[in-house]
Amino acid sequence: MTVTEFVDGPLWYFALAVFFLGIAWRLVVILANGWRGDLSRPRRSGLTGSVRALFSRFAPAPGIGRRIGLHLTGGYLFHLGLFALLLFAAPHVAFYAERLSLPAWQPMPHWAFVLVSELAFIGLMLLWLNRVLNPVTRLISSTGDHLSSILTFLVMLSGCLALEQAHEPLRVLHFFLVEVLMIYFPFSSLMHAFTFVLSREALGYRYGRRGVPV
Amino acid sequence: MARMKFYCDAERCIECNGCVTACKNENEVPWGVNRRRVVTIKDGERGERSLSVACMHCSDAPCAAVCPVDCFYTTKEGVVLHDKDICIGCGYCFYACPFGAPQFPEDGAFASRGKMDKCTFCAGGPEETGSADEFRKYGRNRLAEGKLPLCAEMCATKALLAGDANVIADIYRQRVVNRAASSLAHGVELQRQKFRATPERERTRTRGSEG
Amino acid sequence: MRHWWVWVWLCLGATLFPPVHAAGPSTDKVLNPGAELWNEVRGRQAAPATTQVQGRDSQVLVNEWGEHFRDYRRQRFVRYSGYLLAGVVSLLLLYHLLHGGLEVTESGRKVLRFELTERIVHWLLAGVFLLLTVTGVVLAFGRFVVLPWSGPEVFAVIASASKEGHNLFGPLFIVALLWFFVLFVGRNLPRLVDIYWLIRAGGMLGGGHPAAGFFNGGEKIWFWILTIGGLAVSTSGVVLDFPALVEGRNPLVLALVVHGIAAVVLIAASFGHMYLGTLGVKGSLEGMKSGLVDEAWAHAHHVLWYEELNRKAQAESSAREQGQ
Repeated sequence: MTVTEFVDGPLWYFALAVFFLGIAWRLVVILANGWRGDLSRPRRSGLTGSVRALFSRFAPAPGIGRRIGLHLTGGYLFHLGLFALLLFAAPHVAFYAERLSLPAWQPMPHWAFVLVSELAFIGLMLLWLNRVLNPVTRLISSTGDHLSSILTFLVMLSGCLALEQAHEPLRVLHFFLVEVLMIYFPFSSLMHAFTFVLSREALGYRYGRRGVPV
Repeated sequence: MARMKFYCDAERCIECNGCVTACKNENEVPWGVNRRRVVTIKDGERGERSLSVACMHCSDAPCAAVCPVDCFYTTKEGVVLHDKDICIGCGYCFYACPFGAPQFPEDGAFASRGKMDKCTFCAGGPEETGSADEFRKYGRNRLAEGKLPLCAEMCATKALLAGDANVIADIYRQRVVNRAASSLAHGVELQRQKFRATPERERTRTRGSEG
Repeated sequence: MRHWWVWVWLCLGATLFPPVHAAGPSTDKVLNPGAELWNEVRGRQAAPATTQVQGRDSQVLVNEWGEHFRDYRRQRFVRYSGYLLAGVVSLLLLYHLLHGGLEVTESGRKVLRFELTERIVHWLLAGVFLLLTVTGVVLAFGRFVVLPWSGPEVFAVIASASKEGHNLFGPLFIVALLWFFVLFVGRNLPRLVDIYWLIRAGGMLGGGHPAAGFFNGGEKIWFWILTIGGLAVSTSGVVLDFPALVEGRNPLVLALVVHGIAAVVLIAASFGHMYLGTLGVKGSLEGMKSGLVDEAWAHAHHVLWYEELNRKAQAESSAREQGQ
């Protein structure tokens, strides 16, 4: 079995299994921890609070927007760019149709692809530099966080290097790194892609019941 | 081994673009890519001339000299070919080529370049001769079938000549002699010359010297 | 020269009675059609050339710049840029071996030199610059350096990746460069003290360390090399990245020449910057990593800035006392 066959075949299915089972397992574990009841009489509805928190937290807390401007810009550029690339890049759409048997949808044009990847890269680099250079974020970053940053950067870099779609080794490298990222995903802080909802819900519910504005 | 060359006789080319069409059809070249083109000078004026141009398969090819990945090679027949698996589509060959032969399939608003495509003298490429891959990437390999490039083979006025350099040179030399008034030697425009038959004596001598 | 007077008369006649021609349309002007045709093919005469084929420069029969470009790329660019880069590296090596890095005894007290944003933008620019340097060097010199031992197949993969990476990261360099320029241009405007600093070569010739502000003369020169070179690289790079912006092929060739020369100058200068920022002047790298430098370092290398800092601190504390 060649490297290409291994990366395209067994490793891909393994990564897919680890990715989905791992995420399901972690979410189940978190939810199974249960909710420690709040015995006090609710001042307001917890449900409203949790819904409000889910959306209000997309904007920075009032007063600190300017101070974390770089972080905020980088974060939004990177995340929006990443989702656009993940869902609407032409090679990705073709891949989903071919390998995951999804119905193909309209990909974005090449110029948009280039523009979006530029923005996503600048966002990622700003975030990473902030993590390393800001004394506070450096202090609270673990090795796992750095690994997530590096792995994401490598996945995006290899993807952009394989843009010509002409050389098989480059595609295999990109695919391999994606698989590594997928295997790493459930066991790392990358889980924030799912858990951010849980934490906001929990916080919003608790605050909502106590009547704290969120 | 023969050295393959193209020659376009400007006195004979009538700008019918048959060579362009033949090339596109035979090699199934994609849209936007033209391996051969006919350029007309002084269109509609006196002294109008047309020339059919493609890769001239230089002995010391500038494209090969500037290529950053060294994807060009010259076959035993003197045909300059390139390996599309190695080409990165940088466009340097187009900057260096005297004839504008390298073509790039362009797509998107930013016109990002794909792999270079150019005339192969109908000699295919580095893939296995006659394979489907060879045809898809480089077009027909007529040389391997014992045929010459289709552009020249189907040229109606036989203005475009292709084949062994020595034979082509001899044909052209004979044409110049037969025209009796070599435009270079007499300084008279051929179009203004009256037709003058070549004396029988001269014609036989030319043929004799050829063999 | 017995008949010299014949020549004199001939010359006089020629000046007094110039040959009459071009009076009305000439019918007996004898041109050499072969030479005429060749001139038109070479595009030396403004003869309109047309073609049915649509494409970049498709109506041009012979590309006048082709051989110049080949000569530039093979005979000049690769050779002289190789000399320049190797020369700069060996000069730095020689300097380091003979002179060694500068070091000051630390006082232990730190002052803030670079804000967080400044550090982030610096490293963003540096990161993109390094990526572009590596990929660009692969494209420019890889055929002569990497290809012989990697083989064409492997090198094609490296070169393709380099080309795509170079094209994609190029625009990021422009963004980072502009941002960097806006942040730092105020402190890099030339001042008289910089000229003194440069005349004494920053103290490298002995006689102590000349006074310098926030940035010294050498750093300011590097800043302006970066700005002007970066502008040249960016403009030409945009043309090369998006060839649809220009017509024909000559602007692209010109852009490639400018791009190569400016890039090599930038890379050579960046070697000096990297050396001085790490081994050459100890303590500088820390300033760009944490933003903090030692007071002794500030006093030794940027005494005017250090004094200004002290003045500000004193003014602040006295203002605070007055406020109380």
